[in-house]
Amino acid sequence: MNPVSRLLTLRKLGIGANRAARRRVIFNIVLITLVVSILVLAQIFVVSMSRGIADKWALLADGHLQLYVDKRQPMIEHPSIETIDRVGEVNALLYSPDKNQMVRVKGVEQSYFNDSRLAQLTITQSENASPSTLAKIMISTTLAERLAVKIDDRLALMLVSNDAIRAQLCIIGALYDTGYHELDEQLVFCDLAFLEHLFTSGVTVYYEVLTQERNLETVKGDFERAGYMATTWKEQNPALSGNLETSRQAVLAVMVAVAILCGYFISELSSQMVEDDKARIATLHLIGAQPQVVRRAYWTAVMVITTVSIALGTALGILFARQLPPLLATIAARSYSALSFYLLDFPIRVPVLDLSIIASVLFCVSAVSVHLSLRRVSAIDALSCVRFD
Amino acid sequence: MKRSTDLVYLHQVSKSFPATLRGGEPIQILESVDLTVQRSRAIAITGNSGSGKSTLLQIAAGLMGCDHGEVWFEHEKLGEMDNRALSALRSRRMGFIFQASLLLEDFTASENVEMAAMIGGSSKGEARDKAHEILSLVGLSARLSHRPDQLSGGEKQRVAIARALVNEPAILFADEPTGSLDEGNAAMVEDLLFSLVRQKEVALLLVTHNLSFARRCDEIHRISERNLEVIG
Repeated sequence: MNPVSRLLTLRKLGIGANRAARRRVIFNIVLITLVVSILVLAQIFVVSMSRGIADKWALLADGHLQLYVDKRQPMIEHPSIETIDRVGEVNALLYSPDKNQMVRVKGVEQSYFNDSRLAQLTITQSENASPSTLAKIMISTTLAERLAVKIDDRLALMLVSNDAIRAQLCIIGALYDTGYHELDEQLVFCDLAFLEHLFTSGVTVYYEVLTQERNLETVKGDFERAGYMATTWKEQNPALSGNLETSRQAVLAVMVAVAILCGYFISELSSQMVEDDKARIATLHLIGAQPQVVRRAYWTAVMVITTVSIALGTALGILFARQLPPLLATIAARSYSALSFYLLDFPIRVPVLDLSIIASVLFCVSAVSVHLSLRRVSAIDALSCVRFD
Repeated sequence: MKRSTDLVYLHQVSKSFPATLRGGEPIQILESVDLTVQRSRAIAITGNSGSGKSTLLQIAAGLMGCDHGEVWFEHEKLGEMDNRALSALRSRRMGFIFQASLLLEDFTASENVEMAAMIGGSSKGEARDKAHEILSLVGLSARLSHRPDQLSGGEKQRVAIARALVNEPAILFADEPTGSLDEGNAAMVEDLLFSLVRQKEVALLLVTHNLSFARRCDEIHRISERNLEVIG
């Protein structure tokens, strides 16, 4: 870098400058940092919530992959496969003494609730369970509230099929809560053997495969090549997965738009710098400084401020996001009805790609708009320093 | 007729300004003015306020264009040079001192001079050495790291002189350089200016309404009725 540009840049950054100049630089950094941190926080929140919902659906409702096979156990090995569980499913009506609700009953084996699944829900077991011969089912707290029942209460489970109507009395052995009411209000768990015994003809039996999300398509392909019929949870729930992806992309688009506006604001910052320094720039022109040398100094100074602010804003946004779960848990505990359809319990995930896009857009828009706004430097007449005095 | 030894040569230069921002009948400031500044010569331009002294200096330095006529600096016609070339010329061959010191407020005395040296093509180290040397010549070696707001008016003007001369220009353009100083400081700056100009063999084009200051130059010209006349 030209030594003149370098010295000017350092001074514009407040290095070796007076306190007022340093304060101006810090103020600008704080301002941009705050905007960036809010963008980052919003993006992390939306992506984490979307992925939280996706995880709950994939892990508890459908599995990442569903395999429809005749064999007892799918014979395929893949390093990405976490578990393969045999499950049965049936739609039924659940009756309490006062109310009823259409539900999706899922029959599972003991091993179904592994660590991954247990991380997605909290289970409340009966403390003083009286011995009963009735089959135990697990419903959600949301459903329990809707049916006005509690743990250890009895419910009637009624299957309506083409052949017959069959009712079975059950007891609520446990309550679960995933935090996502849309899922909770329709999903009921029971023992697979009980389900198969009761509703032999109406139960759809399949295998749920848990795998890593990023390897989903590969695993599916492997199964299909091995002759299995495999469906991903996204194919099973196209509306939900489509909505989640659309929401994420829409929010990203909004964040990018805000980043563009922020980039424009940064060019206003450079314009203001030039406006404030008109007399100084004119003096530099008078003593022979080339306008491009002055422009480079201002551009570098503004872009250093921008880069530092982006880095700080991103770090701050991630830091804020990491503090969200306890706050959301507190909000969830208050059971605000307006928030009942929002998932408030999800792990924070940093969407590196999305944040990189936002940061890159902000940097590039700033770089271009600052460059354009600094064209006015060339228009500052050397003689104007005499007029300013 | 321009001679090869002429440093600055103005031939039949005319300049007018619009009467108002919206135009109107232009006010003629200079009309068919000729002026030659030779190497190492000191020329003073005097005249009443508003007579066009500063305009003439600015035209001679290429800071302002003229309506008619030619302005030459050494072997180049200023009117045909682009901004980049004019900037390069100002940085290496010309020095400027105005009534106000026009120092960069965020920079120390030394940095103000170093900046001019670096713009003139010196490396950082060379610029520092040159700045320290010339600031000691103007008696400010103890003020190197002081900012303009920590210097007196006379000291600021001495820094401005140092800045103007650091690149050893061929000519120094000085427009009322002591106009804002008290009598004592003005005399000191005058002495310093002439001593350095003579020592470094730099030509001087001095605009002043102070006749005693002007008399220290080799030639005195007076602008009157849009024309330039030699009065001494």
